[in-house]
Formats: sequence, structure tokens, C-alpha cells
Amino acid sequence: MKKMLIIFMRDVKVNKRDFISLYILIVPIIFGIVINLIAPGVNDTTINIALIEGENIEMQEYLKDFAKISVYKDKAELEERVARRDEVFAYVPDGDGYYILQQGDELEGLLDYAKMMLAFYEDDVQIEDSTAEIHDFGRINPPLKRLLLNIMMMFTAILGGMLIAINIIEEKIDKTIRAIHITPISRTGYILGKSIIGAILPLYGSIGLLLITGFSDINWYQMMVLIVVSMVVSILFGFIQGINNTSVMDAAGSVKMLFLPLGGAVAVAELLSDKWQWIVYWIPFYWTYKGVDEILTYQSSWQNTLIYGGIVVGISAVVYILLIPKIRKGLE
Amino acid sequence: MIKVKGLNHSYKKDGKYAVNNVNFEVAEGEIFGFLGPSGAGKSTTQNIMTGLLQLQEGEVTVAGYDVKHIKNEMFNQIGMSFEQSNVYSKMTAKENLDFYRKLFDVETREPQDLLDLVGLGDKGNIRAGEFSKGMKHRLTFARSMINNPTLWFLDEPTTGLDPSIAADIKDIIRRENKKGVTVFLTTHNMYIADELCDRVAFIVDGDIKLIDSPKNLKLQYGEQLVEVEYIKDGDVVKESFSTIKTEDKNQLKDIIDKYEIQTMHTKEATLEEIFIKVTGRGLK
Ligand SMILES: Nc1ncnc2c1ncn2[C@@H]1O[C@H](COP(=O)(O)OP(=O)(O)O)[C@@H](O)[C@H]1O
Ligand SMILES: [Mg+2]
Repeated sequence: MKKMLIIFMRDVKVNKRDFISLYILIVPIIFGIVINLIAPGVNDTTINIALIEGENIEMQEYLKDFAKISVYKDKAELEERVARRDEVFAYVPDGDGYYILQQGDELEGLLDYAKMMLAFYEDDVQIEDSTAEIHDFGRINPPLKRLLLNIMMMFTAILGGMLIAINIIEEKIDKTIRAIHITPISRTGYILGKSIIGAILPLYGSIGLLLITGFSDINWYQMMVLIVVSMVVSILFGFIQGINNTSVMDAAGSVKMLFLPLGGAVAVAELLSDKWQWIVYWIPFYWTYKGVDEILTYQSSWQNTLIYGGIVVGISAVVYILLIPKIRKGLE
Repeated sequence: MIKVKGLNHSYKKDGKYAVNNVNFEVAEGEIFGFLGPSGAGKSTTQNIMTGLLQLQEGEVTVAGYDVKHIKNEMFNQIGMSFEQSNVYSKMTAKENLDFYRKLFDVETREPQDLLDLVGLGDKGNIRAGEFSKGMKHRLTFARSMINNPTLWFLDEPTTGLDPSIAADIKDIIRRENKKGVTVFLTTHNMYIADELCDRVAFIVDGDIKLIDSPKNLKLQYGEQLVEVEYIKDGDVVKESFSTIKTEDKNQLKDIIDKYEIQTMHTKEATLEEIFIKVTGRGLK
């Protein structure tokens, strides 16, 4: 066990030196931030309103139910806040009314929302005044964000595999595997040690992505099942790529080929009717995609999660059994 | 320390044997040389002994362990320097050794000491990828000592090194051996074998042709040669004659009678000449 960690630590040390590997290590965080930038999240659909501190306590109380309120000392500070990059509207007192201060590049819908809230306040509209019946679809988060997040999570699994492949190719080029084989570490221990980095990446990458994009209230236990399943895919994929390729560039080339089944699985799952879903049943990504999507939409069940996870493990096991002789030979 | 009995190995399992009914034993404290031309089966035999190749046929015991069912702990006892150097290019010399030593369960040597020993003392913080071929080879050699092996496998340890470094390496091997380390040395270089080995095995085409000490071999095949330089029809002629073969003896007498002798001395055959004589093959 200790020796597996030694193998792992060595991999991390070397990967930190290499541009591609370092990039792979930090890319999940970048993905998370990018997703947040291009797709507004659950929490971001509320509006940010800036007010002058203590100027109108009653209004502050009223708005609190509908918007995220922040307060500032005076008009100057208010203006400064609005001028910053993100989307904040200020209600600035003007005579006996208010005017709305904005930076100018805010989304139009949000401005309408800000206007409407001000009007509601001025007319003292309460939630109970609404005559609309409420039909609840459950908590809905933006589909684009979900889609991106889900794809990026699968992507971290591929990248984890890529890291394993890079590290195996390194040992192949330097011919160091033979040197390792004449130390007391067992071959299994070595293989497991080499796998850790590929397992860690989808683990920390997926959790990081979920937290950064604000999905912290999902069913984490079910999510963990699918993350662990992704690790299996990542490790298997890494060893296959590592053994079949003699240079990192070749391996990167084969990784590109993987976007086809990944994209295909997502496209079929999203665009085709139930009748055609079987076309991509053989692609492990299809099942993880489905499972993760159910969790992200809060519609998952243990039964489905386990079925999807089981199918992925099953497909991986078949591939592994078919490839065992090759893997063993490749690591001689 | 090593016992090999009836060892056969066929890479493709097609009846073509890279190693053919090989038998030998290496005693504790000995430097045993495995000599033969390229492709003779030296590395194959060594790789079977170190578990890098799966044993197919025969009985092999190494440092008291049966190689058929190799135990990982065996590797605490043995060290191996590879013919082709193999170190992590992206790590410094010191990092290479630091990483490697952690894989053993026994007391290991200080990386800096080992680097000093092989003349890389001031190169510890340079990445091995920037090393010359010779430097990498020395690093590989140094690494093979890190776990204080009692049985030390050396595959062509001086091949490709410049003579002064090769001499250093030879000294190190001698010193370690004095400390009690058993050495299994594989080479096609007769000089190093001659200088270092207590006993040598001649191997050709997967067959061991003989096993003996260099000294015995020379007694047996060597010192019976006489080299004569004489003047015949105004030219200097140089010839060697055996002192036991009747035909040679008569020829020699003839020459002494008929011609003016310039020089004449007994000559010790080199191990290489003996090898050619015994196996009918050169070493290249
Ligand atoms: N991996 C291999 N696959 C097939 N044949 C091999 C392999 N390695 C070595 N051989 C063959 O086995 C024979 C012995 O090789 P080897 O043990 O490497 O010789 P040496 O170390 O004495 O130069 C050679 O004929 C070589 O071509
Ligand atoms: Mg060889």
C-alpha cells in the first residue's frame, strides 16, 4: 500500500513538470469556471440589488424575499459597486422615488426584472396577491449548464485516463518498467499505484466541478457511485492507451477519437426519441451521462443509478477480459 | 547462490530455443562470468533468473528462492544493472535514486554516496534526460547497488564506457565482491571477464560450451604457444607453434635449424583466442 503511494507520488511529481500533464491536473477547475461564465446557474437566476445602507429599511426587508441585497454607505460607493464587472442593479433614491442605476451591459431580462420589482414595491404587491396556480416541475436548473457539467465530468474521466497513459508511455520510453519489476513491489501493486492518478482526477475533478457550478445539494451518494464507475473507465482507458501508444502525441490522437462516442452518446440521449436510444447502449458514456443527468435534475433513484453503474462496469469488465493478455504483455 | 538445472527457453514456444539445456551453479562470494557473442542467450538466462522472463522449463534457484514461484521479497536481495540504461529522464539523478530506494524493504544506500562512487557526485540535480549515454549507464549501475544486494547481476556493465570510467566500474565491482557480494556478470568483453571473474562460462547459441576459471583455461589452452620471429628470404616472418602438438614441434625445430631467429617467446593466449578455439566462434 505504501509503495503504491510512492508510485503515485512519483507520477504526480513528474506530471507537475510537464506542461500537458499539469494542464490536465488543473483543467477541471478551469472547466468549472468556464461553465459558470457561459451558463447562468441555479443561484444566479436571482438578481443582485444594491441599496444605500439604512436609507429605506422597509424596502430592504421587502426586496429581501426576491433578490440578493447588498448595502453601501453612500451614493458614491453604490456607483462604484455597479461599475464592477458582474450584474448588479442599484436603486438610487431620487426625490420621493428611485431610479435604477446599471452598468449598461446587463442582460435585458434582468433589467426588466429589476424594474418590475421596484414597481411591485412601490405598489406594495405581495406574493399572496398573485392569482396564479403553481404547478411544480421540481427544482429545475438550466439545461445548458447541466449538459456542460455532465460532459465535463465525463471529460475529466478521459483526462484521468490520459494521465495514466502519459505516465505509462513515460515508463515505456525510458524502459523503467523492468527496473520496477526487480524491486519488491508486486506487479499488481505497481498497476494499482499507476492507476491512482487516473482515479483521483475524475474524483476531485467531478466534485470540484459540482461545487464550483453550485450543485452542492444533489444526492452525493448516488453521484459517488457514478464517479467511482467513471474512475474504472478512466483507468481501463488509460492502460489501453498507454500500452497501445509509443508517444504522448499518438495517445492524444487516440483520445480525440473518444469524443466521437462521447458526443454521440450525449447527442442520442438528448436528441433522439426513446425508440433509438439502443444505438448507443454499448457506449459506457451513455449510461454515466444518463445517470448523472438524473441526479442533476433530482430525479435519480438508487435503482437506476445502480443499474447504469452496473452496466458501465459490465462493459468495462468485458473489455478488460478481452485485453488482459495484451495489458500483461505490454507491461513486461 | 544460483543453481540452474536443465533450463530451456523458447520465446515463441515454437521449438526454437534461445537457451538450450543450460546448467550451472554460482557459489556465494564468486564473480561468475557469462561470456558469449551477441544473441548467445546471455540476457535471456539472466532475465529468467531475475523473474523478468517467465521460467518455462528447468529448475532455477536464486539467492535461496525458487524462481518458479517468485516471492517479491527476493528482490530485496538482488540488484541488477541493465545493458540498456533505463532511468526516468524527467527526474534528476538524485530523484531517480530517491524514488527507487523507497521501493525496497531493506536498508538502502545514500543516493549521494552512490553518485559520488560512480563519478556523478556533482550531477545529482540534473535531470537524467540531459545525461550522456555513459552517464545514464553509470546511474543505472549505481541504482543496482542501492539495496545492498547480496547477489548482483550485471549485464554488460562497462560496454560503451570510456576506459577510465570502465576502470572505475571494475574497481567498484571488485570492492563490492570483497565485501562478500556474489556477482553474475554478463559480457561479450573478454578482457573484463579475464580481469574480474573467478570462473567463466562460454555460451554460444544457447549452449554452455564449458565452465572454468580463466587461469585454468589459460593453463590448458594457453601457455603452450611459442611465438617466433625469423628471417626467411630476407623477410621477417612471424609464426606461432604449439609446444605439444608433434607436428608443430617438428616445424619449430626445423625453423630453428634453418633460419636466423630474431625473437622467440612463449605466449599466453587471450581468453578470446581460447573462446574461438573452444567454440569455433568469434565474440563479435
Ligand atoms: N523478446 C524476444 N523475442 C524473441 N526472440 C528474442 C527475444 N529476445 C531475444 N531473443 C532471441 O533470443 C536469442 C538470445 O538473445 P539474448 O539472450 O538477448 O542474447 P545475448 O544477451 O547473449 O546477446 C537471440 O537469438 C535473440 O534474437
Ligand atoms: Mg545481452
